[in-house]
Amino acid sequence: MAVIGVARFIQQRQDFEDAIARSYQVEMAARERIVAGTGGRPARAAVAREARHRSELRDQISGDTRDTALLVAAGLIAGLTGALLLFSGLISSMRRPLEELVDAAGRLAAGDRSARVEVGGLSETAALGAAFNEMAEELEREASQRDQLDRLKDEFVLTASHELRSPLTSVQGFAELLMLERESLTPRQVETVEVILDNCRHLVRLLNDLLDLARSDAGRLAIRPEPTAVAPLVDDVVRTIRAQTDAGGQTLTENLQPGLPPIEVEPARIRQILVNLLTNAHEYCPGGASIEVTARASGAEVEISVSDDGPGIPNDQLERIFERFTRGDAGLTQRVGGTGLGLAISKSLVELHGGTIEAESTVGQGSTFRFRVPVAAGTGVQGGRAPAEAS
Amino acid sequence: MARILVADDSETILLLMRTRLEMAGHAVETACDGQEVLESIAESGMPDLLLLDAMMPRMSGIDALRELRTAGSEIPALIVSAHQNPGDADAPTDLQIDGYITKPIDFDQLLTTIAELTN
Repeated sequence: MAVIGVARFIQQRQDFEDAIARSYQVEMAARERIVAGTGGRPARAAVAREARHRSELRDQISGDTRDTALLVAAGLIAGLTGALLLFSGLISSMRRPLEELVDAAGRLAAGDRSARVEVGGLSETAALGAAFNEMAEELEREASQRDQLDRLKDEFVLTASHELRSPLTSVQGFAELLMLERESLTPRQVETVEVILDNCRHLVRLLNDLLDLARSDAGRLAIRPEPTAVAPLVDDVVRTIRAQTDAGGQTLTENLQPGLPPIEVEPARIRQILVNLLTNAHEYCPGGASIEVTARASGAEVEISVSDDGPGIPNDQLERIFERFTRGDAGLTQRVGGTGLGLAISKSLVELHGGTIEAESTVGQGSTFRFRVPVAAGTGVQGGRAPAEAS
Repeated sequence: MARILVADDSETILLLMRTRLEMAGHAVETACDGQEVLESIAESGMPDLLLLDAMMPRMSGIDALRELRTAGSEIPALIVSAHQNPGDADAPTDLQIDGYITKPIDFDQLLTTIAELTN
């Protein structure tokens, strides 16, 4: 509109100037005739008429100019409004796809591999959306390949540990059979069979640990928690381990807070964790070391810890102590029977119970491993040291 | 002493089982899969106890036991599993199983369990 106004203004201005120029030419011709003495009255009339005509033209052009200016102003206002409308339309048509993109990127980052955007709207946002979808597609493909590899790995470990167990059963079984007739064996033969049995037990431990970890990774390590009294469980494990600590000249003490509430756990799994922690303490500590098991109530949890005054664990190893195949220096240099998997499994098991586990150590002073598991809900029964009283 | 039918797809495991169980005074028959278990029972009658491997080709110990239970048998049955925890054996809860034995086999414990179940 403004453009039309400006064009019209220029045209009007041109017409006006042409008309003025023509009027001057007519007037000048008339004046020349008057000077020459050939014009007479008509020439004088023409001079007066042209002057009047120009005055009219000037009035007209100033009116037209005002109109045109108004037209131009109106045009500009209309144009600006239109531009604003167009611009805000543009913004809103970009905003929705962009918001959707931000939302989808957020979901993708949070692990929703199926996050996609609707491709449409302006060509630029459509291209952006298409590129995003392509990237998400690729991520999803990679993730599903990784999942498949993980599944294959888990299946492999489950099958392998299953398949290895049968021959191992035979080796251990027949070695035990030999030991049943040990009186007819020479001392050297007995020693040989003992080495076979020792290694069988180590292999079994490794297989069990691998199986546990594979199950844990596959989300198939299930626990069946039940209200369990703490003291009998700890007593039992301590009794089992005491034979080894006694043989190693180590002191093993128990320090349980009286009247502990029962915990909501699968007893066999807590026993497994405790055996692991106590076996570690026994194997990594020298003869004469002191090992202590303590248990105390802590809010809605019971904290069980195993402390020793052994060599301790350097900080760099302590940070990675719950990772697989992480073993202390002693485990690598001395004859320690661990698999490097025990603490990783203990951590998985504690977490399955909804608990936490941590390690603390000072080199030269000893180590403490403590885990917390939840108190059995709504039992209101005090387990304590006397299970008979508890029920 | 009891008549025990042992099923496992490994010959050496069967030999080991037979040796240890016979040393303890039991009478042992063997089968290498669930199908043979059913055939053996059809031929020579029901033993005092079944010791069945959970996983065998053709027919598993669990499937063989299911057939026997469906037919109304109450025979004591122990399932031998390569799994460390009975719960991991994916064992059916609707089937009467009198105990789980894990590999490697703790024979002292197995003999105690057999004595309990057959007395």
